[in-house]
Amino acid sequence: MNLERVVFGFFIILTLSLNYAFVVGGVESPAHHNVWILTLTIIANLVAIGLKLGDRSQTGALLLASGLVAGLLLITARVVWIVADPVGGGGPGPGDMADIVSIATGALVANIVATAILVGDTLLSRR
Amino acid sequence: MTPTSDLDRVTMIVLRYMRRPLFALLFVYSVGIMGMALMPGQVVDGETTNMSLFHAFYFFTYTATTTGFGELPNGFSEEQRLWTIFCLYTGATAWFYAIGSLIRLVQNPHFSQAMDGFRFARKVKQYREPFVILCGFGDTGSLLARGLSDHRMRAVILDSDPERIKALGVRDYSVAMPGLCADTSAPKHLLAAGVEHPACRALVALTNDDDVNLKIAVMARHLNPRLRVICRSTSARHEANLRALDNVTVVDPFEIFAQLLHWAIVRPELHNLNSWFVGARGVKLGVPLEVPRGDWILCGYGRMGHWIHRYLEAQGVGVRIIDPEVDTEEAGDGAVMVQSHADHLALVTAGIENAAGVVAATDRDADNLSTLLSVTELNPQAFRIVRQNRHENQVAFDAARADLVLQHSLTTARRILKLLISPLVQELIEWLAEQEPAQTQGLVARLQVATGTEPPHLWSVRLVPGEAPAVTDYLEAGGVVTLGALCRDARAFPEALPCVALAVRRAGHSIMLPDEECPLDAGDEILFCGIQWVEHMLQATLHNPYTLRYVVTGVDAPRGVLFAWLEERRRRVMGPAAGRAPRPGSRR
Repeated sequence: MNLERVVFGFFIILTLSLNYAFVVGGVESPAHHNVWILTLTIIANLVAIGLKLGDRSQTGALLLASGLVAGLLLITARVVWIVADPVGGGGPGPGDMADIVSIATGALVANIVATAILVGDTLLSRR
Repeated sequence: MTPTSDLDRVTMIVLRYMRRPLFALLFVYSVGIMGMALMPGQVVDGETTNMSLFHAFYFFTYTATTTGFGELPNGFSEEQRLWTIFCLYTGATAWFYAIGSLIRLVQNPHFSQAMDGFRFARKVKQYREPFVILCGFGDTGSLLARGLSDHRMRAVILDSDPERIKALGVRDYSVAMPGLCADTSAPKHLLAAGVEHPACRALVALTNDDDVNLKIAVMARHLNPRLRVICRSTSARHEANLRALDNVTVVDPFEIFAQLLHWAIVRPELHNLNSWFVGARGVKLGVPLEVPRGDWILCGYGRMGHWIHRYLEAQGVGVRIIDPEVDTEEAGDGAVMVQSHADHLALVTAGIENAAGVVAATDRDADNLSTLLSVTELNPQAFRIVRQNRHENQVAFDAARADLVLQHSLTTARRILKLLISPLVQELIEWLAEQEPAQTQGLVARLQVATGTEPPHLWSVRLVPGEAPAVTDYLEAGGVVTLGALCRDARAFPEALPCVALAVRRAGHSIMLPDEECPLDAGDEILFCGIQWVEHMLQATLHNPYTLRYVVTGVDAPRGVLFAWLEERRRRVMGPAAGRAPRPGSRR
């Protein structure tokens, strides 16, 4: 067992789980989506990216790329939330909410790809 | 005078053939269109209308080609209708004439030949992948092309026999193999086939005519001195000529045949290994032929018979010769010579009942097969080796159940294929032939452990940045990689992958059967034999710096910057003893 693999696997799968937890629910209703979960997803994702820096293998490069895609989309979603949220709370309107959730769903795809690569690589090397 | 290319010839032939029909069309069109424009049309408001020139052209176009849209754009007058009849007949006739000429042009043999040459040269010029030029597409040529196709190596084929090129067209090769029917020794055609092409790896001259082969080899040497030439030759005079040229390898099918045959008789274990490497049918590794000791009867004493005799005599094997044209005086003392066809009587005279075996090696398949029948009747214990001349008689030879069938076109094709695809294998076999048999048996035992019952998979790896970046980086950083370490299985450290390194080629010389401790250098070429999937596992080691470091040191190095830093810190705390192997990525 390799500690680095455990830590990296933890953060990659945590990002995927949190991302799903944020996305699931009605697309237009702010009550179904928690901004705290979105923020935590971004943090977990950034940690995963940081862990991949310096890896010179092919799979490492691919994991870094998918992590960057997910990070870009998640941060975009968070920025849209900040812009759309009226002062005093209540959450963004239905139109803005739909934008935020669809962008976060795109990030979910990138996270699924990253997890698939990680699992595939581990299974192929079988050690 | 400037030299003409195939394209110039094609253009010239087209122009010559089409000049008259084109002039005929031009004339008929001009007369028809002008006439139509001049013919008085219908009277509208008391004034005679005329067709404009453009409308006349439009009308003539659809009439002459017998499309016939009707009277467009307006209804015609009687005069115009008369002229229409004229237009229709002359126009249609001119078109038929033109089309007929075109068809005759396409059927013209000079034209199609020039066209074929042009297309062929253009196709070859566009090649980016490495290819081989094959001159002569007979039995050996087609077997070699099949072998090259199995290795996904392209070949460009020249043959002077149109039937052979037609036969090429119906083969199902895994890669495109363009063929041209042309005089193979003409430099023009060699150039079209890509003698000067940078991706051309070698030229193989395999025609049945030794003179032609010599000519091809000499031409190719002049056109591109760096190109490797492999030339089939059966005459001693040509061979001496060819061997004087560098970069030319002479392949004598009779000598190769005799060499294999004498290995089968004298060195069965080596013959077994060689047949297993080339993938001969029904050969199991470690199960060599059981060849009896004693005198052999050789039927047929032509060029091949002489080679066989020479090889066997050198090994101290007694040979009795049967041949209708043998000179009994020529025989030295002790040699038995029978001047006859290899029939019942001749075999009895040669002492078949106490002979170890028979080699039926005449150049006629029917004679060889009938000799086999006689031998089976006279001495069922005798070992029977038979020469198969023609590939199409395969079924008959299979049915004859001889102990060993050798087909010289096949043995030659395999030898050339080995020279082209993995020259190290041939070097290894020749090296083993000079060593004691125990060396071969040792290798066979190792290969049996590595491959089990699987067919062999041979591949070579060059330690250059393009093929093994991880290894070259590691070596550059001051690390040491031994052959044994490279072959470890990353999934089950420190077990070895089931493969055997047969040879290492380093700076012009070869190390045969290197041991595990052999340190590797950048630029080495290593020949491996193992199972198919091992190559993929080894590829991972060669490309991934982390896997390489793991198989060399047994330590799974941290990959990311963060963990590398933590590791470094921990090591500094523990003391400077740890960490001799260079970390992946750190270059000096």
